[in-house]
Amino acid sequence: MIPDNSEELRVLAGEYVLGVLDADEADEVAAALAVNAELRRAVAFWERQLHPLSSLATSAEPPSGTWQAIEARIRTKTAKPIATSLWSNLALWRWSTAGFAAAAAALALWIAAVPTPRPSLVAILHPPQQDQASWIATAGRSGLVLRAVTTATPPSDRAFELWAIAPGATQPRSLGVISPNGELKLSRLPPDLRDGATLAISIEPIGGSPTQLPSGPVVYVGSVKAV
Amino acid sequence: MMENQTAALSPVDVLIEAAGRGSQIALKQLYEVESRRLYGIALRIVRRPEIAADVLQEAFVQIWQNAAAFSHERGTGAAWLTGIVRFRALDAVRKAGREIPTDDPTLGDEAVEPDVIDKIGASAEADALRRCLKLLEREQQLCIVLAFVDGLSHSEVAAHIKAPLGSVKSWIRRGLLSLRRCLEE
Repeated sequence: MIPDNSEELRVLAGEYVLGVLDADEADEVAAALAVNAELRRAVAFWERQLHPLSSLATSAEPPSGTWQAIEARIRTKTAKPIATSLWSNLALWRWSTAGFAAAAAALALWIAAVPTPRPSLVAILHPPQQDQASWIATAGRSGLVLRAVTTATPPSDRAFELWAIAPGATQPRSLGVISPNGELKLSRLPPDLRDGATLAISIEPIGGSPTQLPSGPVVYVGSVKAV
Repeated sequence: MMENQTAALSPVDVLIEAAGRGSQIALKQLYEVESRRLYGIALRIVRRPEIAADVLQEAFVQIWQNAAAFSHERGTGAAWLTGIVRFRALDAVRKAGREIPTDDPTLGDEAVEPDVIDKIGASAEADALRRCLKLLEREQQLCIVLAFVDGLSHSEVAAHIKAPLGSVKSWIRRGLLSLRRCLEE
């Protein structure tokens, strides 16, 4: 169980970073990191502070071929056409943070207007190469709500579908098709949704992508942040 | 966090950022700069070269995928890389169960050396950690070094230093509490 007490929480974070917890306990901490900002800060503290200890391990030459194996895996990942378009869109989006302050201000107003419970995760989605906030997603224990900020309509005979890419994940996972009124609600928090995850919206046939991956272009992206 | 924002970016931080923007060349340079250090960390924990190589491979794929999410607020790029490699290595040890020999006669020897703390590299953060570790009781210090550097779990530390599990848990707990107070001063 993750303690509420701040001192206990910090000790647990320290044990997690040291690596002394057994697999079940470590998994529990890893899962709680997604929704517990204090725990995240405590883990970051220990990672930063204990890092110099790693200099006690003697450097050694990795076996030859290790880089080639890494390179091959990276190439394979980006060779998938759909994944490529998604990831290159994300790469572009990472450049465009200039409009983030304005979007954050809009978000603050929006959150203030939303009744409790306060969300613990938010994401502002915008077109990959533009700064205009187009969708806001808020998530917490009570689930997820995605709403269009401005009127956003898919092409005729098409629908918007929302995808989540967990931090470190290689493939997006569908969170569902957005209803024509520009809203998507989930009553449970999807496991992929945590700080550092990415949300993306693609254009799909009515009813959603026929495959497990986006089949149409990714038209909005945003990064999930803890608040 | 404030001091991290004003700190100059290290070459490693710059390479991580470039990899985050999709540069495979940056990732390759990062590998050239950091792979020996990171492989050493993995090897120390998993003890077997073929597993350490797998850990390094998994870690670099993860670094590639997560580089865009790397934030300086969390600390230096080097610490971020270390964190990824250590967790991959600990995961490998847990998955392999007892396949990885913990009865290796050389395991954890260094941690038992009285001056091991003095071997921690030189930097402002290392100085602070060294000073604070030296304030701990001998057992607390030993358990924390064995856990972090050799990747031993509570029970493995207990078996290795032939102490009761409860004592080891308590030493680590109290050691972390003292360490945090000292580091936050």
